[in-house]
Amino acid sequence: MKVEQLSDGIFEVIIDDRKILSTHNLYPGHSVYGERLMDVDGVEYRQWDPHRSKLGAMVLKGFEIPIEYDSHVLYLGAASGTTVSHVSDILTDGLVYAVEFSPRTMRDLIKLCDQRPNIIPILADANQPRSYAHIVETVDVIFQDVAQPNQAEIAAINSKYFLEEDGHLMLSIKSRSIDTVASPKKVFKDEVKKLEGDFGVEFEVLQRKELDPFHEDHLGVLARMFVEDEA
Amino acid sequence: MKAVTWFGTLKLSENGDVEECYLLEKDTEQLAQHMLLAVENEELPTHGLDLRELALACGFVELDEDYDVLLREICIKAAKRQISMTDTDDKRIIQAVEAMDDVDKAANELSERLTEWYGVYFPELELTAESMARFVARFGSRENVPEDHNMFSKASSSMGAELSLVDEDLLRNFATNLCGIYDTRKNLEQYIMANMGAVAPNLTNIAGAPLGARLISLAGGLKKLAAFPSSTVQVIGANNALFKHLRSRAPSPKHGVIFNHPFIKGAPWWQRGKIARALAAKISLAVRMDAYGGKLDPSIKVNLERKVESIRKAHPEPPKKQSTKVTQPGPGRAGGRPAKKRGGQKKGGMNKGSKNTDDRSGGRPA
Ligand SMILES: C[S@@+](CC[C@H](N)C(=O)[O-])C[C@H]1O[C@@H](n2cnc3c(N)ncnc32)[C@H](O)[C@@H]1O
Repeated sequence: MKVEQLSDGIFEVIIDDRKILSTHNLYPGHSVYGERLMDVDGVEYRQWDPHRSKLGAMVLKGFEIPIEYDSHVLYLGAASGTTVSHVSDILTDGLVYAVEFSPRTMRDLIKLCDQRPNIIPILADANQPRSYAHIVETVDVIFQDVAQPNQAEIAAINSKYFLEEDGHLMLSIKSRSIDTVASPKKVFKDEVKKLEGDFGVEFEVLQRKELDPFHEDHLGVLARMFVEDEA
Repeated sequence: MKAVTWFGTLKLSENGDVEECYLLEKDTEQLAQHMLLAVENEELPTHGLDLRELALACGFVELDEDYDVLLREICIKAAKRQISMTDTDDKRIIQAVEAMDDVDKAANELSERLTEWYGVYFPELELTAESMARFVARFGSRENVPEDHNMFSKASSSMGAELSLVDEDLLRNFATNLCGIYDTRKNLEQYIMANMGAVAPNLTNIAGAPLGARLISLAGGLKKLAAFPSSTVQVIGANNALFKHLRSRAPSPKHGVIFNHPFIKGAPWWQRGKIARALAAKISLAVRMDAYGGKLDPSIKVNLERKVESIRKAHPEPPKKQSTKVTQPGPGRAGGRPAKKRGGQKKGGMNKGSKNTDDRSGGRPA
C-alpha cells in the first residue's frame, strides 16, 4: 500500500492500482458512516466517499482545496457530519464551526462532536448569520452545502459576516433546489452571477466545475472574496 | 459600539478596538444559557468580529487552545439543550399516535393470521380480533374450554381438527403476544387521554383527546396546527379522499378526521358541512390559544354548542332544491319527497348527497 498526499490532510491510498480518496483518521478505530478504514505503516486512513460528499467530489474533480491543517472553517449545512468528519480529520490544528438547522440531524452531529475535539456544533439557520455572530470568529474558509433555493445569498451573507479578507468560499450548488425545470447550466450561470455581486460582497470565481459523475446537477464553486476598499 | 459575544459584552471603538469588557463567569452552564438567550438580544454583532482575538485581548482566556476547548464545550451544551427543547410535549403525543397506528397495523395482521390458523382447529368459534386472541391465549385447544363457558357446547361438538401439543404451544404463544399488543394499544390510548389535557387543554375540551391528538399528529405539531387556516383544519386527514377527488372528480371531501366528532357524526347529512365548518373554526381558535400556552377557556365549547344548535334549528329538513334539479317535479311528487336517486346517493357516501349545498356555501378543501 502506498499513500500520496493531494493537499493538507487529504490523501490517496493506493491499493492494487486503485486510488482511494481518504483522510487521516483523527479518531482511530472508528468509522463514521460505514466507510472503510485502512492501515498504512501504522497510520489509519479513512476512506472518503466522493458520492456521499460534495467536498470529496470537488477534490477528485481537481479543485484546489483551500483548507489547511490549521484553518478555521465555517461549514454551512453540516447534516449528520459525513463531510464534516473529513474536514475534522484535515484540521489537526484547526477548527470547524458546523451549522445545521434541523434538530433531528443535529442530534447525530453532536455524537460526532463528542468524539472529535475540533468540531463546534451550532444549531441555527444559515439565513440568519447574526444569530451566531456571537459565536463564530472570523474564518479562513466557508464551505456551504445547504441545498436551498437561495444558496448564493446564504453564501454571500455569511461571507460578509465571517470570512476574512482574501478568505475562500467553497460552494456546492444544487440546481434542482433552485429551479426544477430550468436547465442546470442556466441555473448555475445565474447563481454564480448573483454570487459575484448581488449581495454587497464580491467574489472572484477561481474554479467552477460540475460534480458529475459523483453528484448529478451539482456545481462546485471555489471563490475568493474581494474586499472593497473602504477609503 | 456594544457587542454581545458568547463570553461577555464588549464596548468597541469605531475602529474595532476594545474599550471595555464585561466578561461572564467561566461557568459552562451559565455560558451555555447565555449563548442561547443572546440570540434574542438586540446587541448581537451586526458584522463579524474576530472573537478569538477579542477574548484574548480581554483576558477571558490566555491561550488559543483554551478558547477552543471552552467554546466547544459550551456549544455542545447549548445545542443539546436546544434539541431537548424541541422534544416538546406535543411531539410525545405525536409519537404515541403514530405508535398506535403501527400497533393497529401489526394487530390486524397478526389477528388475521390467528383467525386463519386457529380456524382449522375450531371453525365454530365466532370470536374475532382481541376476544379471539384472549380466548386462544387462555385455553389453547378447544378441549380445555370448561363446562361453564358459553363456548363449551360448540367446542365439544366442533368439526375442527385435532390440535397437537406442539402446535397448541405455538398458537398459544402467538395469541399471548397478540394480547400484549392489544395491551400496548390500551396503554397508548390511556397515555393520550392522560396527557392531552396538559398539552392542549382547549383543543381537548372541544375535540376530545383522541381526535385532538390525531389532529396534532397529522399537522406535525401543535404550533403547525395552529398555523393552519380553519378551512384546512376541516379537511386534515382527508388526503386520500382529496387526491381521489383531484384524480377522478370524486366528490370533494368536506371533512377530514374531524368527521369523527360526535357533533358531525350524529348530525343528518345536510347539516354536516355547516357543522364541520363551525367545528373547524372553533378548533382553530382553541389550538391557537393552546399553542401560546393558554389556559382552558370553557366558553369556546359553549359557543360551539350554541352554534351547532342554531344550525340544527335553521336546517331541520333536508334541502329540497336538489330534487327539482334532478327530476322534473312530477305531479305526484309535490310533497317533495327526495328524488328517486336520493337513496342511492346516501349509500354512495354522504359527501355526494350534500355536495351541492356545500360547494355553494364555500366548503372547499384548502
Ligand atoms: C445536502 S445536505 C448536507 C450534506 C453534508 N454537507 C455532507 O456532505 O455530509 C444539506 C443540509 O443542510 C441543512 N440546511 C438546509 N438549509 C439550511 C439552513 N438555512 N441553515 C442551516 N442548515 C440548513 C439541511 O438540514 C441538510 O442537513
